[in-house]
Amino acid sequence: MNWRRNVSVCLLFICVSAFVTSKDGLFNIPLNWPKPNYNFSKNPLTKDKIDLGRALFYDPILSQNNTISCSSCHSQFTAFAHVDHALSHGIYDRIGTRNAPVLINLAWNKTFMWDGAINHLDMQALAPISHPDEMGESIEHVIYKLNQSKIYHHLFFKAFGDSIASGEHLLKAISQFMLTLVSANSKYDSLKRKESVFTRQEKNGYKLYKQNCASCHTEPLFTNQKFENNGLPLDLELKDFGRMKVTQNPNDSLKFKVPTLRNIEFSYPYMHDGRFKNLNAVLDHYTTGIVKSKTLALQLEQPIVLSANEKIDLISFLLTLSDKKFLFNTEFGYPKNILLSLPKD
Amino acid sequence: MFGNSVLQLNDSVYKLNKIDSIQFETLKFYVSAIEFWNNSAPVWIEPNSFHLMDASDSNTLKLAFKVPSDMIYAEIKFKLGIDSLTNVSGAIGGDLDPIKGMYWTWQSGYVNFKLEGKSNLCRSRKHEFQFHLGGYTHPYNSLQTISLLTSNLQDVSIKFDLKTFLSDVDLENKPSVMSPNKDALILSNQLGKLFKIKE
Ligand code: HEC
Ligand code: HEC
Repeated sequence: MNWRRNVSVCLLFICVSAFVTSKDGLFNIPLNWPKPNYNFSKNPLTKDKIDLGRALFYDPILSQNNTISCSSCHSQFTAFAHVDHALSHGIYDRIGTRNAPVLINLAWNKTFMWDGAINHLDMQALAPISHPDEMGESIEHVIYKLNQSKIYHHLFFKAFGDSIASGEHLLKAISQFMLTLVSANSKYDSLKRKESVFTRQEKNGYKLYKQNCASCHTEPLFTNQKFENNGLPLDLELKDFGRMKVTQNPNDSLKFKVPTLRNIEFSYPYMHDGRFKNLNAVLDHYTTGIVKSKTLALQLEQPIVLSANEKIDLISFLLTLSDKKFLFNTEFGYPKNILLSLPKD
Repeated sequence: MFGNSVLQLNDSVYKLNKIDSIQFETLKFYVSAIEFWNNSAPVWIEPNSFHLMDASDSNTLKLAFKVPSDMIYAEIKFKLGIDSLTNVSGAIGGDLDPIKGMYWTWQSGYVNFKLEGKSNLCRSRKHEFQFHLGGYTHPYNSLQTISLLTSNLQDVSIKFDLKTFLSDVDLENKPSVMSPNKDALILSNQLGKLFKIKE
């Protein structure tokens, strides 16, 4: 990596920070992936900060009536999407208006939420904490509760050298845990590393994916991170116009962030409102369900044609994007050990 | 300031004209990027310059700067609000910590200016009004740059008159602006013009 030093000061800086994140093994960029979007130099990963973030992620203390944690809606076994709920459920069983997406590879995200309303991973946690249908809390009161807790005095001190919790430290710690959620160990990835091969079906499915889907669900993240209208009819009850709410620009009407297809096997139901229960229904949408409108993506103006067999092949390819190692990685699970090792409140 | 009187929160009642009454509960805003200029060039720039001014805490309303003792200046420049780079920089501490209540949670971004209170003019619930002005992206970037000429070199007092501001606002029909949009931009532009040196 040293050769970069001669090029420019700016590159040297990238070089150094990439080195720091990989030296301690806390964050590794998978082979041939782009550079992450998250600026690690402003929040360098440490084991203690990740542990604190993980404890917070699993702790219902972040919700108003201490019943809902981040993991209530983002469960590891579905790549941190909401298990089998079209619209996510929050405190007092209130129902939100959108489907909880997977939380993977967030270090590469440019924006967050289906409409990109959140501009930085650090700021993401503020939204569910203060949403009345989600956790119904205020960040001010969460900080107050954390500062009453011996466990968190301890964890905040270990992480930041300051036992008093602040908003900045809370948010940075939660980010650190989420940044470690890298999923790059599917069959597709092992194939790219030349460690396995596709079946004939999967191979044909990959070809069909490249023809019809890759312009938006682009490798290796399986999203181009853009906002597109993929032709879903407007739900007249939810009246969700997506990106337009953020930009107030009519050209953004009905556009939503292109979601990743990684771990798609587990993140059903599908789309921003969870309207499709399975992948067959998704493919039926792309072949016969596209609704034309002013903002419809150009690629979808001509109908996608897939025979019944081709649909089966395409789905068999999509299933090669499942990363079971990720789903069962104990580093991402409930932080029993972290919490047991501490003095009780 | 409100007209000729110094602003008090909560109990004090103010009038725009004879029939109305206005009470203020919250007035908070960010002042950032403070610079002192002389002969059209900056002579001193405050590093890391972000200040939350909170009318309920008079300590926050006075700023002191450590500047070179022989510094001469004729102009003070500052921004009302938070610049767009800082808005996309993730979690920050101190006055910029989101627990200060000046950060939108459902759509990222700082609230540059917050004014809340009650007036019998408002047709809203409990006659409340709320102005949360902000927005850092084009075309609704509401950050204001303010330049004031001054001959004082020691203590400079800057004032702005809420009465003028509220006289321009449609309290009756638009008692709340709570997100970055055209209304927020218009009101922010008006606010920017109200800062004056108090001689
Ligand atoms: C009540 C259910 C619920 C809870 C609790 C919840 N979330 Fe979410 N989460 C959602 C939903 C729904 C979305 C998508 C919302 C949208 O796009 O408008 C989401 C989106 C996200 C995203 C954006 C992902 C992306 O790719 O854009 C992140 C990151 C996230 N949540 C993290 C968290 C964290 C951290 C917590 C705990 C502080 C949390 N969530 C608590 C339901 C929940
Ligand atoms: C023009 C861009 C575009 C193309 C081409 C496209 N998609 Fe999508 N896809 C999207 C967008 C945008 C969404 C999210 C839409 C929403 O929720 O409103 C989406 C959502 C999905 C989802 C749901 C993901 C989830 O987590 O809920 C699946 C599955 C999917 N697409 C598969 C495909 C397949 C398979 C193809 C090819 C046959 C394809 N897409 C082609 C833009 C596209």
